[in-house]
Amino acid sequence: MEELIPIIKKALEQVDVVLGWAQSPAAGVAVPAFFHTPAEADAAVFDSTCAHNLAVYLPRLADKKVGIVAKGCDARSIAQLIAEGAVKRSGVFVIGASCPGMIDVKKAWRCFGFGKQVCDAAGKVAMEGKTVAREEILLWKCRGCRDPEPVICDVTVGEASSEAPAPPAEPAGIRKRFAAMTVAERRQFWQDQFSRCIRCYACREACPLCVCRDVCTIQAHEPGWAGAAVDSPQSWMAQLIRVNHLAGRCTGCEECERACPVGIPLMLLLEEQNDVVEELFGYRAGGEAKPPFLTFDIKNDTWDEER
Amino acid sequence: MLGVFICQCGTNISATVDTGAVAAAAAGMRGVAHAESIQYTCSDPGQAAIGAAVREKRLDRIVIAACSPRMHEATFRRALERAGLNPYMMEMVNIREQCSWIHADTGEATMKAVDLVRKAVARIRAHVPLQGGKTAAVRRALVIGGGIAGIRAALDISAAGIPVTLVEKSPSIGGNMARLDKTFPTLDCSSCILTPLMVEIKQHDHIELMTNAEVDDVRGLVGDFQIDIRRRSTCVDEEKCTGCMICQEKCPAPAPDDFNAGLCQSKAISVAFPQAVPLVASLRKQYCRRFNGGKCRLCQKLCPAGAVDYGQEDEVVSRSFGAVVAATGYGHYDWTGSYPTFGKGLYPDVITSAQYERLLSASGPTGGLIRRPSDGAEPRQVAFVSCVGSRDESAGRPQCCSVGCMYTAKQAILTKEHIPDSQSYIFYIDMRAGGKNYEEFVRRAQTRYGAIFIRGRVGRIFPRRGKLVVMGTDTLAGDQVEIEADLVVLAAGLTAAPGAGELARKLNIACDETGFMAEEHPKLRPVEAAAAGVFLAGACQGPKDIPATVAQAGAAAAKVIGLLSRGELETSPMVSAVNPSRCAGCFKCRDVCPFGAIDKDRLADGLVTARVIESLCRGCGICNAACPPGAISLNGYTDKQLLAELVEVLR
Repeated sequence: MEELIPIIKKALEQVDVVLGWAQSPAAGVAVPAFFHTPAEADAAVFDSTCAHNLAVYLPRLADKKVGIVAKGCDARSIAQLIAEGAVKRSGVFVIGASCPGMIDVKKAWRCFGFGKQVCDAAGKVAMEGKTVAREEILLWKCRGCRDPEPVICDVTVGEASSEAPAPPAEPAGIRKRFAAMTVAERRQFWQDQFSRCIRCYACREACPLCVCRDVCTIQAHEPGWAGAAVDSPQSWMAQLIRVNHLAGRCTGCEECERACPVGIPLMLLLEEQNDVVEELFGYRAGGEAKPPFLTFDIKNDTWDEER
Repeated sequence: MLGVFICQCGTNISATVDTGAVAAAAAGMRGVAHAESIQYTCSDPGQAAIGAAVREKRLDRIVIAACSPRMHEATFRRALERAGLNPYMMEMVNIREQCSWIHADTGEATMKAVDLVRKAVARIRAHVPLQGGKTAAVRRALVIGGGIAGIRAALDISAAGIPVTLVEKSPSIGGNMARLDKTFPTLDCSSCILTPLMVEIKQHDHIELMTNAEVDDVRGLVGDFQIDIRRRSTCVDEEKCTGCMICQEKCPAPAPDDFNAGLCQSKAISVAFPQAVPLVASLRKQYCRRFNGGKCRLCQKLCPAGAVDYGQEDEVVSRSFGAVVAATGYGHYDWTGSYPTFGKGLYPDVITSAQYERLLSASGPTGGLIRRPSDGAEPRQVAFVSCVGSRDESAGRPQCCSVGCMYTAKQAILTKEHIPDSQSYIFYIDMRAGGKNYEEFVRRAQTRYGAIFIRGRVGRIFPRRGKLVVMGTDTLAGDQVEIEADLVVLAAGLTAAPGAGELARKLNIACDETGFMAEEHPKLRPVEAAAAGVFLAGACQGPKDIPATVAQAGAAAAKVIGLLSRGELETSPMVSAVNPSRCAGCFKCRDVCPFGAIDKDRLADGLVTARVIESLCRGCGICNAACPPGAISLNGYTDKQLLAELVEVLR
């Protein structure tokens, strides 16, 4: 996507920094990059390995004017941050990138070996004779993507809406297994999953909406809602607090699960919660509707059930 | 060191809860140095026992298992203070309303009481001493409503040298009492006793009168309410208008006459009534020709004072007040919907007692001559129907209007005085004449004025040969009765004043199920509303007659004077507080705060955190729930305390 580079260069005329991606020579995939000068922008790339949600950097750059290359799902996070007042709309310049769906780099590496250049021809990912169907290694959230186009953007790049990959007919893999479990089995499932948790808080650091960072309640000692021990129940409790704090705020960008070094399927929790919020309140975070929590008016004692 | 006191409340608690066993169980709980069961903990010896235990065992915090904190929390706080402890180092457990009164089985109730005490013991271990602040109280009171209640309260408060703003929705003060002809049981002329008070309000140096005005918004709390008052545009300059009524005379646009209960027409620009205070005209735009596309400017042209200003706009006045008295009075029940057999309001000679009052009044549309609305004839037979929309479950209105019996008897007496050869019939359920000299008054209506009292409900009213037939039962004779009357007067029930519910929400006070504003305690705090610094006077709290209204207005005034004469008020320390080192600066607290009590604070190192404006915080705790890092907590209800309590319950 060569047209991205001139757009970034042009954006740099009015912003302090542009957040985008550059090729990592070591890993053979794209990694986040901060472009401060037009010369740096020559390294910009946009391909099927640009899965990172760069909106995560925005709150801490709130005092700068920032350009950001955003996929549809990233734009929802930006919109949510603006709605919550963590980022000013006037402080961000959104370069909306038309997204073909992102691949799960870890899966690709499992097929082709770590550090191999993962190139993405249309439809298939081929390398050194091995060929894998693209759907096989797409990120889960990209199958049946609801937001191929950014909800907010100042300029677009790339062909508008290549067709979003069709949603899988039924849950596959871990989701299929989880859906079939009884309550007792699910409890055991989560106990097993969280027994691997090392409390590295990568989930929190990768989440664009976990704005508390260093003062996060799951690390607080008083009161210790979740103990600090690396043991299953305490780690589980800590994650449930994080998930709860994202109720009505999570845009489903899947960064927590992607960042988890031990592969805990965190999105199972968040997807369930997002579904409940959408069903109950007809509300999806990152849109234009006012969050249900903020529609409470103490001076109005009639609650509109239909709303 | 922790002390636990289990109150027996006579037998209120001890009949169902084994208080001795609860005390014994408490003695074994962690940190408890003293536990005892006391017959009446709130009594003098009970409080003395707490003091003695504090001194002897060096207790530093107390759990009291007794009644609801609403009842005696303040009592026990004072007891702790006298014993030398911080008054907030006390936790009350309600084992009466929430335990003994609702359970029958002693074993289970005792078990529950022990659980509740254990929970409080865990919680109080995390208590820290709290210190209420002092704030200067604004030495000005707001009285809402200019009826007899508001007038009396305003005069009584200002008599203590405290300035008062009196806000009245309509163009004149006087309220419902100004519409009455005579008052029971003395038959004083209502205007004669009210008008001098109205004039006194206008002339009083310490009273600021705002008519055509309503409360728009209320912020802050006791001692410092910031209240926006909207003064509706009347298109008349109050300073210039002399009340000459030339505009009213010449105005071509008819408009309903609110003062005369709709019996006659007034004009779009009019003075409310001849004794109105202030005596100024006001224009109702919805009826005015100029404001409905016409070209008429008659009133402006003819006004000798040049007081008419069509461009006048609503004005919002913001003021600070230390206390508020709500005196919004009552409204009239609209009977037409619920009593189809009474003609749904289609028979002109079936009127309400409020309308009849205007027919009796010398300042009314007939000049004090009783003339029935249909043909202007003088009625000979007048039937009065009590309890229309009162004490009637089928109309969904079980409450008693408390004045209907008396004013119906009064109207029967006045009817006889106006028309000596008339005959009154009163259909009643019970005659309720409980006040001083009331029974004698009703008796007089019967004996000296010959009113015929028929005990029973009326089933139907219908016209027949120019008369109205009132069909009802006579339950004393066990018979049906049929009265042919020229005029039927319905004693319609009283409701909360229109808009009272909305005002109550603005003031953050409660209304009861009938829509009247609720007092804090029916016996012990009858004029206090649920929000501190808000008091109730008169019929806004429930239907009542003039003597009771005036008495309550005086009581409300005394409360306001007592509150504001101290100069400064102790503020509750139970407000939210931010721990800046935990605050992420996300300001979800500010988004959810209904009282605007959260502000931004920039720390020395440049970090932006939330800050609670304590004078605005009402301690609702919504911010606590919204704060993701748990940086904001409610003093006395910290996460640590609640978690300790929860863990104990779930143990």
